Amino acid sequence: MDRDERIESVKKAFGAKILGADRVRGIPVVTAAKQDIPAIASHMHRASDLRGTLSLQWAVDLRPRLAAYRIYYLFTLSGGPWLMLQTELYGEDRLFPSITPRIHAAKWYEREIRDMFGLIAEGHPDLRRLVRHEHWPKGTHPLKKDFSWNHVMGRQDGEYHFRQIEGEGVFEVPVGPIHAGIIEPGHFRFSVAGEPIMQLEVRHFWKHRGVEKLFENLTWAEGVSLAEKVSGDTSFGHSLCYCQAAESLLGIEVPPRANYLRSLFLELERLHNHIGDVGAICNDAAYALALAHCGRMKERIMQINDSLTGSRFLRGLNRVGGLSIDLPSDQLDAAALALKKIEEDFTDLSKIIFNNASLTDRLETTGILKERTARDHGVMGVVGRASNIDRDVRRDHPFAAYDRLRFKVPIYRYGDVRARLRVRVDEVHESMDLIRQALENLPVGPITNAALPAPQPGDWALSAVEGWRGEILYFVMAGEEGKIHRCKVRDPSFVIWPAIQFAVLGNIIPDFPLINKSFNLSYAGTDL
Amino acid sequence: MFRIIQKSLKTGIVTGNYPAPTKSERPVPDAVRKKASVFGRSLAIREVDTGSCNGCEMEMNALMNPVYDAERFGIHIAASPRHADALVVTGPVTVNMEKALKDVHAATPDPKLVIALGDCACDCGIFKGSYAVTGPVERHIPVDVKISGCPPRPSEILNALKKLQGRKP
Ligand code: SF4
Repeated sequence: MDRDERIESVKKAFGAKILGADRVRGIPVVTAAKQDIPAIASHMHRASDLRGTLSLQWAVDLRPRLAAYRIYYLFTLSGGPWLMLQTELYGEDRLFPSITPRIHAAKWYEREIRDMFGLIAEGHPDLRRLVRHEHWPKGTHPLKKDFSWNHVMGRQDGEYHFRQIEGEGVFEVPVGPIHAGIIEPGHFRFSVAGEPIMQLEVRHFWKHRGVEKLFENLTWAEGVSLAEKVSGDTSFGHSLCYCQAAESLLGIEVPPRANYLRSLFLELERLHNHIGDVGAICNDAAYALALAHCGRMKERIMQINDSLTGSRFLRGLNRVGGLSIDLPSDQLDAAALALKKIEEDFTDLSKIIFNNASLTDRLETTGILKERTARDHGVMGVVGRASNIDRDVRRDHPFAAYDRLRFKVPIYRYGDVRARLRVRVDEVHESMDLIRQALENLPVGPITNAALPAPQPGDWALSAVEGWRGEILYFVMAGEEGKIHRCKVRDPSFVIWPAIQFAVLGNIIPDFPLINKSFNLSYAGTDL
Repeated sequence: MFRIIQKSLKTGIVTGNYPAPTKSERPVPDAVRKKASVFGRSLAIREVDTGSCNGCEMEMNALMNPVYDAERFGIHIAASPRHADALVVTGPVTVNMEKALKDVHAATPDPKLVIALGDCACDCGIFKGSYAVTGPVERHIPVDVKISGCPPRPSEILNALKKLQGRKP
């Protein structure tokens, strides 16, 4: 179906209710009045020719240009194309109708919008605070333009009310925010009767650092370094997504060599994280041998990163317009050779892992995320692909050099810990192959496109990158004087966290660390 | 079984296979050295993340892999602050983590050391001034050692810890 057909489908169903239909940098955008949003969004979600998954919902404070807030909805239709919906709230209007009763995936987004902008989703079934913990004073909405980035916050008393299950023999187990291992802070509240988990509530945003607000202080070039620090383990994925959004907005063409190298670095990041995860998942099933081997392989790859670029996390590489350093071919060849050894090493190890019956016993049927639940939440990435959700931005919205590289997207159906492990193991091999292809076909030429033109205030762009966890999204809007007006960051973890609450049901608490590890979501990337 | 043994033999020993750190750590002040001396040659560490980007966590985790194997220097990670000799704190201390940090510090038995790890913990790094950040760490609890870097390499962290223990680098 071509792009205009998508708009036509919506127009046919809603006629005069569609106030505008436009294409912005190739993305079809439909505008409607706020009261029509739930019906139109629901159509985009359910109509058999669209079947959109809500991938992102966010707001922008348009002041000082316009005294209004705009709310955007991004749908990923079946097969990958995007369709956007938008509405505006004028003047003192602070209410918009919630779509959560019809589209489950909106539930955290609408709570986030309320916390950050003070805009209330009417009809939302759960309007507790999400990002703002209870001690934040009333009326603190950091992304409003009249809230200053360095505002010193007071404190108030308050208590968060967890969902409760009552009944004989039901008790609650609180875990966190500080955990036993070296992990990020988050709170998990289990309700159990006997062994099985009846309910889990995840409470996050302990690490909220105000990233999106900080972006608004920066120029386009400065933003890269902040994007690298959204989630350290995905430094390259985030900075790449940010740069692509900025490049698309500024109309900068990235030279081919930089595109190939970007693919290469993104795969390197995927490799060290996936290999580390394989070891850590096995370790949480008490198979420490795999952790030791994977730990040393991961370390080796990070040392390769370091020797190539001077950063174990591939930081300082991306810049708006391309890359900041070029690599001589002898260094790249040496890295390729080292990676080949690691691949053989890893193949040996995966045979050992999958031949171990007692390990398999722990992994199979543990923490099943059903396909239906995953779809309702808009889950994608490694976790989605283990639950039969066939999405991969590298294939569906090719970026960097992926349109010229060949790779398979591994899909598993069972949605258990083992399936998530398998997806990672398969992707390690695919990444190794991608790196080989990128090196074989690496074009010569410049690696950056210098000049940064100034964009028109109010212009925006959207970009997606398949990071090692899944789909990273950045929305950027230009402000005055070459500054960023708004930067919406979405790490895949934000989407997948609520789904974990369903994957643990019926499992026992001692299996939670294993299930959690098989998801391995970012807390920093969620909390921002 | 045969495969596992074969794998171990083929791999050999990897401990110590890392480039020596190029950055030299600041010398440990005498007072801190004295405070650390009661722990002798062992150090139980509780890691507390107060809003890091998780880069510092990854490098702390790397310390425990077979390549750095910090355990060979008696450094291990305690599961609870009650078992810890030292707190390693990462991140700029967010508004939401401030109380948890103070609680953990209070729960750690005396004598104790506090190590601020990474630029964020030392001076809030890129997050300095944000409405959501109340750090740095030393604003809330006394800090004995600062290890800078974004993130510091594991070899640098290990060197700093060894220095604290009074070992040769
Ligand atoms: S110092 Fe750097 S790596 Fe460490 S938490 Fe801060 S931003 Fe992340």
